Amino acid sequence: MPEPETGIIHFKGVTKKFGQLVALGGISFDVKKGEFIFITGPSGAGKTTILKLILGELTPDIGQVKVDGFNVAGLDEKDLPRFRQQIGTVFQDFKLLPERTVFENVAVALAVIGLPEKDWDERVKHVLKLAGLTNQTDLFPSQLSGGELQRVSLARALSVNPKIILADEPTGNLDWETSDKLMELFEKINKEGKTIVMATHNMEIVKKYKKRVINIVGGTIEKP
Amino acid sequence: MNIHIKTAWDYIRRSPFQALAASFVLTLTFFVMTLVSVLVYSSSKLITYFETRPQVIAFLKSDAKDTEVADLQHSLSTDPHIKDIKYVSKEEALSIYKKATSDNPLLGQLVDPSIFPASLEFSVTDLSFAQSIIDNVKGEKIVDSVGFTAALGGETSLNDVVGRLKTVTTYVRVGGIVFVTLLFITSLVVLLVITSMRVVGRREEVEILNLIGATKGFIRSPIILEAFIYTLFGVILGWAVSFIAILYLAPTVVSYFGEIPVLPKTAIGIIELFGMIFVIEIFVGAVLALSGSLLAISRVKKAR
Repeated sequence: MPEPETGIIHFKGVTKKFGQLVALGGISFDVKKGEFIFITGPSGAGKTTILKLILGELTPDIGQVKVDGFNVAGLDEKDLPRFRQQIGTVFQDFKLLPERTVFENVAVALAVIGLPEKDWDERVKHVLKLAGLTNQTDLFPSQLSGGELQRVSLARALSVNPKIILADEPTGNLDWETSDKLMELFEKINKEGKTIVMATHNMEIVKKYKKRVINIVGGTIEKP
Repeated sequence: MNIHIKTAWDYIRRSPFQALAASFVLTLTFFVMTLVSVLVYSSSKLITYFETRPQVIAFLKSDAKDTEVADLQHSLSTDPHIKDIKYVSKEEALSIYKKATSDNPLLGQLVDPSIFPASLEFSVTDLSFAQSIIDNVKGEKIVDSVGFTAALGGETSLNDVVGRLKTVTTYVRVGGIVFVTLLFITSLVVLLVITSMRVVGRREEVEILNLIGATKGFIRSPIILEAFIYTLFGVILGWAVSFIAILYLAPTVVSYFGEIPVLPKTAIGIIELFGMIFVIEIFVGAVLALSGSLLAISRVKKAR
């Protein structure tokens, strides 16, 4: 009898190889709707690979990845953008558009999902207020600190009202204090019902925030 | 759409020399295209003028009776290759002569009206039938001789005149089309290069947009719009400069060619002609912009 798919994210027997290297070897797990989980492990363990599989950037060689009921590997090239519009992603290297202001960096996500321009102002200001960036709307990325950049990235992810937020080492380039403030923001967002999957090797954060942990070692899930 | 126009405009502002290069080449292309279009129009009008005006004059003998003239006129009117038959009396012939020599009235006063024969003038719908028609007309007993209005130098001289005109206009048209095609290809290459540079320079931005769910259309739109901005600028400026140049030269050209309508004689006619050229160039510009930008995008994609 097949296992029931219980989560908004469902990995079943997923293997991903890069040439001879086995990045992930037959992993299976579920993430429930509204859950906040950490994916931990040393560098090269396969954390980012898991996030890329969820986002559809990579497809599994064996196994199945389902996100919100969609088999990600089965998505057409023309369906992938619409699928990704439902996922907010926060990147370790921020991935902001350097020649656009903070406001414009968030607004571009709204343009991507096709929200009418007349609604951008309200939505952008709301998420920037949530991220504590009300005074930085007209600044460019080069004028911001690391913590502010990450908060802009988070604001952009939130602006599209996603079901899932993926965060790949969001505190990787930040000091502890800034990291902690950022984590409080993630916590707040999670309490509003967003599913959060965060890849991190920052064990202090993991210990403090006490969420479910999926620990990846050598491409497999370490049993607790 | 606004965000794409803003993005395209930002690209243009950040690379002003590239924008200048593209705009210059496109302006030149459409400037030449407008001139060639007007040349083609004028040469067509020139050919049509010589093909349709009374070409053949059958000079009648002085003893030709009115009934015989009327019979011949009727007989010519039934020929499908002949049109616009007109009888010119001796008095009318004198009047034409006097008008032609109006700058020297003495010539008109010294001439006796009786020396001007009456004639039948007609046009040939196709010059390939001209020789057979002329031979038939020459055989009529009331016809003294046959001449041409274009040049009274001999039976083949009108064919020569029109033939030469056709050759010249063919060279002008073919040469013009070849030159415009070369410029079109140059413009396409310039657009291709600039767009390719733009796409390569935007790699990081494209990656980010892909990850946040942007469609291909969303990513490509500013690039295509930028190409459209260049071509629109080129069309408007190139067309405008040609228009002004031709308006400036028009009085000289019109007075040189006299009654031959190489350019429209009325303001509305000029506006219609240039309006049509402008609309065609906008269409050509749109094709150029779209093909150049899409080609560049696909080339960069393949190279990756």
